[in-house]
Amino acid sequence: MTSPERAEGGRPLYAAEGITKHFNNVVALENVAFSVDAGEVVGLVGDNGAGKSTLVGILSGAYTPDTGRIFLNNREARWSSPHDALKAGIETVYQDSGIAPELTVAANIFLGREILKKGLLGRLGFLDEDDMYSRARKELERVGIAMPGPSRTVSQLSGGQRQAVAIGRAIAWAKKVILLDEPTNHLGARQAADVLGVIRQAGRSGLAVVFISHTLAHVLDVTDRVVVLRLGRVVADQRTSQFTHETLLRAIAGLN
Amino acid sequence: MLLAAIFAAMVAVFSAVNPRFFSLAAAANILQDFSPVVLMAAGQTFVIASGGIDLSVGSVLGLAGVAMALVIRTLNDSGFNPAVTIALGLGAAMCVGAFIGLLNGLLIAYARIVPFIATLAMMGAAAGLTIVITGGVEVAGGPREVILLGSSRFLGVFTTPVVVAFLILVIAWASLSRTRFGRWTYAVGSNFFAARAAGIDLNAHIIRIYMLSGVLSALAGAFVYFRLGSGSPLSGRGGELSSIAAAVIGGMSLQGGAGRMTGSIMGALITTSVLSGLILIGVEPNWQQVVIAALIAIAVGVQGIGGMGRERA
Repeated sequence: MTSPERAEGGRPLYAAEGITKHFNNVVALENVAFSVDAGEVVGLVGDNGAGKSTLVGILSGAYTPDTGRIFLNNREARWSSPHDALKAGIETVYQDSGIAPELTVAANIFLGREILKKGLLGRLGFLDEDDMYSRARKELERVGIAMPGPSRTVSQLSGGQRQAVAIGRAIAWAKKVILLDEPTNHLGARQAADVLGVIRQAGRSGLAVVFISHTLAHVLDVTDRVVVLRLGRVVADQRTSQFTHETLLRAIAGLN
Repeated sequence: MLLAAIFAAMVAVFSAVNPRFFSLAAAANILQDFSPVVLMAAGQTFVIASGGIDLSVGSVLGLAGVAMALVIRTLNDSGFNPAVTIALGLGAAMCVGAFIGLLNGLLIAYARIVPFIATLAMMGAAAGLTIVITGGVEVAGGPREVILLGSSRFLGVFTTPVVVAFLILVIAWASLSRTRFGRWTYAVGSNFFAARAAGIDLNAHIIRIYMLSGVLSALAGAFVYFRLGSGSPLSGRGGELSSIAAAVIGGMSLQGGAGRMTGSIMGALITTSVLSGLILIGVEPNWQQVVIAALIAIAVGVQGIGGMGRERA
């Protein structure tokens, strides 16, 4: 768990330029430019089929673009798998699928990065549960997530708490960028408000945050800038303060 | 706790009907039956925790047992030292188990065949191969140390295989509940996508799990060989049923991600005791598979009712 890094001159911290992606004969993205800077929360919106998930897939390393380049900290990055992006400090929170419900909160936070006991037991793969519980508690407190306890099984938590764990884990490990794919989907108003608070906090801590959502009120509430995709192209990219609910909706629907 | 209570109640009922059930001799027999079943169940527990199923455990037991018997007979006939002969036979059995586990893992991880079908195919292939290489005849002819190893008892009940089985169970329990290997196993079964997103090499992990199951089943085959003093091509029949029964009676969720090794151990103790008890009270052995199948249905049914209760709560 490390402090997030700041952008270093030139391009924004994480930038994609000239991205095109086809699936068979279908154009998913065409000449898309997208960027997010350190400490910035960028909303990515668009109708179904606009290309949001494809773009997130490319930014998270799940897909390789047909053409175009990705830059992290001004250096060209090539991801051959999500693991590459993960190692580079880019965390992704997937809608409904990022958490193992039968594991504890701490086990989820440390999944794939478990802390092992010291000495021979550690070399045999034995887990240091106490250390993971205590670090998980501190980390959740740091990102402002109220949780019943890191030893709780995730299946015992509410939808909002589960999503908060997923985001908390991403914030805890992200060194540079967090991609949030519809994190407030299926949540009640209060739970969504908690998650939005965590997203704001992530931006304030210096991380570059990409927030994908269909709920425009959430986008307008939490982001600094909004990028609108329509039929695989960027049709708007401006400060959130320049949008109203109405104008954002019109941009998404292609009525501007 | 509930499983211990069920076990105690079962012992009380069988002992009341036939007092011989509550004797050292009966306990020794149950433990000898228990050892191979619990080893298969331990492997099955890892597999089920990962969201899979291994139908090949019984066939692996059979094939590994006869492979061991053939190696031991050949070396014994060539005048090799009995200890070396047995060690090499055991090694051959382990290799057979690891190889079939590897094939299972490759089919599931890389060929993307669902575990049920991949291990069903391997179950048929291993059972068929066992008949092909033995001609359907038992493979005897090992040194007398084999029988000594399999039948000499400590304290009246514990044979060497039983003691080794207990040691392996301790390791298996620790591995599933205390190590990263176990944590990843549960994670794969709980949410495959979350485990992949966390950077776990899922293909390698799945292959390791099925190889572990294969090796434990092969060891079960070795134990049966030690007990009988020969490799029987019919050994291990129904092993998939008894190992799955032990795991689900012990509380393993067939959805993956949940359940404990201690539960499967108790499950194996309950299934083997039920079968011994039924024989002692005069029920025909042919009813065994029916009873095991009924136990699986009851255990899964109880899990389902419990799950519905939790969802309503």
